[in-house]
Amino acid sequence: MEINTLDLLALISLVTVATALLVGGQGRGGWQLSLLYLLQLVVVASMVMMAGGEGIISTLQFSTVGESIGWRLDGLGLYFLLITVGTAAFVSFYMAGPWGEAYQRDGGSLRWLQVALATNVFTMLLLLASGDLLSLFIGWELASWAAFWMMALAGGIALKVALRYLIYAMVGAMMVFALIVILYGQAGSFGFDEIREASVQMERGTTILVLLLTVAGFGIKMGLLPFHLWQAPAYAETPGPGSAFLGAISSRLGLFAILLVLFRVVDGAWIELYLGFMNPQTLLAWIAVATIIFPTFTAMRQNDARQLLAWHGIGQGGYMLLGIAMMDPLGVAGGMLHIFNHATYQAALFLAVTAVIYRTQTSDLNHLGGLVVRMPLTFATMLVGIIGLAGLPPMNGFVSKWLVYRSLLEQGEVLLFVGAVIGTLGTILSVYKLLHNTFLGSLRLEHQAVREVPITMWMPMILLSGLILLTGIFPGVPLQWVAEAAASIGLPMPQFNLGGVIAEGGSLDMRVISGVLLSGFAIAALIFYGAGSSRRVNPLDNYAGGHFLYASNRYHYSNNFYAGLMHLIKPWYRGIFERLEQIILLLLAVIADLLQGLYLQRQPGRVALVVLVLLLWWSTL
Amino acid sequence: MSNSLALVIALPLLAAFLLQPLAQQLGVGREQRSVAIQLYAQLTIAVTLWITLMLGNGVEQQPLSVMMGGFSAPMGINLYLDRLSLLLLVATQLALLLLWPADATPRIHALMLLLSASSMGLALSGDLFNLYVFYELLAVATFGLVAANSSRSAPLISFRYLLISGLGSVLALSGIALIYSHTGSLNLADISATLQHGDAELPLAAFILILLGIGVKAELFAVNGWVPEVYAIISPRLSALLAGVVSKLAVVVIVRVLLMLFPHPEAAQVLLVLGILGVISGELAAWRAQDLRRMLAYSSIGQLGMIFIAFSLSLEFGMLMGLLLSLHHMVVKPGLFMLTAGKSKRWHMALFVLFALSLVGVPPLPGFWVKLSLLTGLVEAGGALNQLALIVFLGATVIEASYLFRVLQNTLPNPPAVDEGHLTVGWNGLVGVLLGGVLVVTTLSVDPVLEQLKQISSQAGDRNLLISSVVTPSAEQQMVVERDK
Amino acid sequence: MMVVDLLIELLLMPLVAFLVGLVMVLWMRRLGARIQRRVGPPFLQPLYDVVKLFGKETQISHGVLHDIGIIMAMGGYIAAETLLPVPGMDGVAAYGGIITLTYLMMIPSLGLALGVGQCANPNGSIGISRALTAMLAYDVPFVIVVFGVAYHAGSANLIEIIDGQQQAGVAGWGLFEMPLLAIAGLITLQGSLGKQPFEVYVAPAEIATGPMVEMGGKYLGGLFVMQAFQFYTATVLYVSLFLGGGTNWIDLLLKSFLVLTIPVSVAYLFPRYRTEDLVRLLWKWPVMIGLLGVAFVV
Repeated sequence: MEINTLDLLALISLVTVATALLVGGQGRGGWQLSLLYLLQLVVVASMVMMAGGEGIISTLQFSTVGESIGWRLDGLGLYFLLITVGTAAFVSFYMAGPWGEAYQRDGGSLRWLQVALATNVFTMLLLLASGDLLSLFIGWELASWAAFWMMALAGGIALKVALRYLIYAMVGAMMVFALIVILYGQAGSFGFDEIREASVQMERGTTILVLLLTVAGFGIKMGLLPFHLWQAPAYAETPGPGSAFLGAISSRLGLFAILLVLFRVVDGAWIELYLGFMNPQTLLAWIAVATIIFPTFTAMRQNDARQLLAWHGIGQGGYMLLGIAMMDPLGVAGGMLHIFNHATYQAALFLAVTAVIYRTQTSDLNHLGGLVVRMPLTFATMLVGIIGLAGLPPMNGFVSKWLVYRSLLEQGEVLLFVGAVIGTLGTILSVYKLLHNTFLGSLRLEHQAVREVPITMWMPMILLSGLILLTGIFPGVPLQWVAEAAASIGLPMPQFNLGGVIAEGGSLDMRVISGVLLSGFAIAALIFYGAGSSRRVNPLDNYAGGHFLYASNRYHYSNNFYAGLMHLIKPWYRGIFERLEQIILLLLAVIADLLQGLYLQRQPGRVALVVLVLLLWWSTL
Repeated sequence: MSNSLALVIALPLLAAFLLQPLAQQLGVGREQRSVAIQLYAQLTIAVTLWITLMLGNGVEQQPLSVMMGGFSAPMGINLYLDRLSLLLLVATQLALLLLWPADATPRIHALMLLLSASSMGLALSGDLFNLYVFYELLAVATFGLVAANSSRSAPLISFRYLLISGLGSVLALSGIALIYSHTGSLNLADISATLQHGDAELPLAAFILILLGIGVKAELFAVNGWVPEVYAIISPRLSALLAGVVSKLAVVVIVRVLLMLFPHPEAAQVLLVLGILGVISGELAAWRAQDLRRMLAYSSIGQLGMIFIAFSLSLEFGMLMGLLLSLHHMVVKPGLFMLTAGKSKRWHMALFVLFALSLVGVPPLPGFWVKLSLLTGLVEAGGALNQLALIVFLGATVIEASYLFRVLQNTLPNPPAVDEGHLTVGWNGLVGVLLGGVLVVTTLSVDPVLEQLKQISSQAGDRNLLISSVVTPSAEQQMVVERDK
Repeated sequence: MMVVDLLIELLLMPLVAFLVGLVMVLWMRRLGARIQRRVGPPFLQPLYDVVKLFGKETQISHGVLHDIGIIMAMGGYIAAETLLPVPGMDGVAAYGGIITLTYLMMIPSLGLALGVGQCANPNGSIGISRALTAMLAYDVPFVIVVFGVAYHAGSANLIEIIDGQQQAGVAGWGLFEMPLLAIAGLITLQGSLGKQPFEVYVAPAEIATGPMVEMGGKYLGGLFVMQAFQFYTATVLYVSLFLGGGTNWIDLLLKSFLVLTIPVSVAYLFPRYRTEDLVRLLWKWPVMIGLLGVAFVV
């Protein structure tokens, strides 16, 4: 039996899990794991180089309960896999050194965290390389449970929010389960091609059901509204680097599966379906915009750095779906490129916040401040990260959002466009608050002795920052991967070059834009520094309200940062989704209690007799 | 040779009756006496198990049918051993041995033997009357065990259990009487043959009565009111025995009767509806349960509901699905119950998660394959009720996952049950490990296991095979029948 | 040769913008003086101001980020000017289009925010909080306007938008084709320039609670330059979107000063809105007018 690269990758991935079990707990010893992830990355990269066509089919094929299960990695899976393995490499490197030792000192088990990470990567490989609906579901379930494991590891609150995730994930998984058995019922097979053939003749009702189950079932994982409540708390409570990994890629699996099913497995006829009030495409776009706006403005109100980032993670997922829902070259390119871009800056941001926690033991935005003078590298990472997240040039987040905007402009979708922009503006406000409350303003007394994090931690952060900038200047590189991914599910792509996109009615060349921007900064710097030297004073050497400031004065404007805005929009936060969730749970609880009452009666025979009489009566009909 | 089939029932029965006098005759100390009696009882069951296995050698080709006392089909007592009953017998005896109550009095040992005998009889009975008799015997044995095993503070619960058991017996008997009045026979095969010739038709009411009657033990909806309270007060082992094994016996009996005598679609519908109600009520109640054992008890009601849903599907497929679900539950539920004993350690938790994952149906554990096949079957079957069943099934899985994994938070207390002492807690854990091992091995060999079970269920669902092996044992007569057709 | 030409353009465009911007500052001051019946400053006053601020001896820096903030504030506009086509010079407008320009115009505000944040003065932070809120307020109608114009022109490329208007003649100007959007744009302009009634975040009258609180010397000078750029960019962009751009420099300058006159005059007639009222107003009227305008276009 000849082993191809996919088999090799799976093998290395499994070896990584085993290695994590063996040496994962050894603090600095974890470098072997980083090496293994790098090896995986090399294999994936080599696959990306040679990608195209049918994809790589694993030689490992099962046949169980009369159904064959196989794995095949094509452009789409490869794209997601590249991000997954890449993130894991950064994260494991970060985790293996002093951070891991500190984590163990605080009572965490680094070994199980490493094993959970390796398991997550492996299960995601299984999912991304699924060659039929059965392997898709198996991969889906395993990846979901692996994520649950990672979230629950910390115990306590983390376990509590992970259990909430579990309920959502199970609802999603069961919808997916229904989806695959329904499609199986249509085609008599789990094979993609067979189902595609059969789906051409699917009835309208079935098509709508399939569509609904696909979007809702997989959408829960990516935190689509109204299924988004679980995500932010669950990711935020995951131990540091774990949250970086989950936040970067885990929830994107939902998008992967939606793309796979809607564009590869099921025939594209659903696009033309009319749902009575709008077509599915528009509906998807509106869900996407809602997913952008609500979580973004929820993020703005968070007082915990991790929560804030996690909420933004949900919102950014909306841009991806929005772009893809446009189904034109620019939108698809933007939406899919944003997956990569988001992974890079989200990982960087979570790692930066973790670094802050490592030094200060808190991520409470009201208990930090002024750290830029103590942790400049971490600050730089966060700065690059938030510019990426906010989608401003020259970072990579700008490119993908630009593409999405252009697509919306071309389609004349003004409301969607405005929604997307409101999301971006909200993001800018929110991330500035994050940066300001953590790094700017006055340094607290207890943080005077804080130092920059060790090299094992800042190195991956700085490398990620470099990646964010470089892929911002040369988006053509990731766009090449996106093109392969889009081709494998038959979606269009715009013409692009190394610097950006060439399109009718307005192109983008980030090499030029970044060039003029950086030159602008350079000229401004020349003027500024040419104008004579300035005297550096202590940040506290100023006054406020007619008083000098002292370190003992906590004079950092952080709480309720956007007081004016909140004064206006606070009444708009109705907590409608939380309330909806509570109502559903309450209703269920009432019903459950009533049903439990059936079993708790003094005379259990009463129910039996009633049912007996009813049944006998029915039998005489 | 074939007459030794009766031995399988008679041996434990006899041993049970002899136990009390034997115990009184033993002149040794209390401690030794208890050990000796337990050895005696368990040895009896082991021997029975051995005999069963010997007898079961040939049933792959041809089921074994024995006419007691030499009377032919409609009249005599008929014992019928096919692969399904063989499987059940072996599983039951093994379970009895593994889940033997700790620190038992002679009376409990006797009751366990009685339970063994009655479950054997239940699995082997080829006619309705014997079915009823053994069922009654089973009820007595389980009631005795529950009453003896539960803490003293709960006589009311035991009494309620007795009441509802009695109600079940009455219902079952009425159903059987109804059948007799229509066909003049009590032999399953005989009735089947009569029905096949179109000589008579059974009223659905008979089925409903039998269903609800025997359903008491099968934790069928509406007659399962005893389940949560009883499981909460008895020892985990007995819970495991009742939930895991006895309930499955009752299920199989019901299904036998259903498949053989009531091919009406309405009968399947009743089963389906009650199954759905069981799933909904059981799972939701489990979700709201305030302690661990009650939660598992309610959960088992839900699981049994799922099994009923499975059996309600078309004959052969439903048989297979129901069997698969039953066996899966037979491994998982006792496993879960066993882990509720004693303080939870880390590996207890890991094992608990393994069982829970399989119960929820996470691939590649066996639970997943069962659910996959069942759900595809439900979709294929179509129809509003089946679709409803599909939805209920999926919803129940969500709720199941929700309450099973809540246990990780360690917030659910265990109710005070019979204390089993420190030594036995280790044994309970061992049984849990064993069952976990079974689960893992099955995971690794899904296909061969499935193949075997397919054969078993197709044999069990073959009505003609039953008729031919019971009513017309000789090849000569069989030919006559064929010529008549 | 092409490259050299382009480089010259890239240098020239910000330079011209800076100079014109200074005159615009002067124009604003003079206009204000006229309205208030004062004489107003002399012609070279803005230049004197810049030279004075940059030449101060005492320069207080609160840290590297304080410097970087000012550099970003100026540099962002220097870059933005190269994307804003003017008569005879297209710069790199074809490589980014109006969406990129919109985003580049946010960078100076963020630079300012960074610099002020580093100063560790709570009053500065309050100012930034208000400034960003104001940005959230005026950018929403602004992008609606941009969307409408770009969609109408069928291009997000400013060069094409301007060319389209010039070819269609005066009647083809955005102002006449899309009057509603032009109105919305004007209101937005008021906000983006930070002029009354939308100037709560600058709060020049009570400097203790504004972004400028820790700014002196070349720091304030940088912000002064930024303001000059801002006037230029905002008005020229408005002219490009609605008034057919400039066929030549005189045309462009005339139109730009005319446009600038409106917000500046309005500013001297109005008091100030509170932050939340500012948001409410900008999210209500210009958004509604803008959306209505877009509805006519789409």
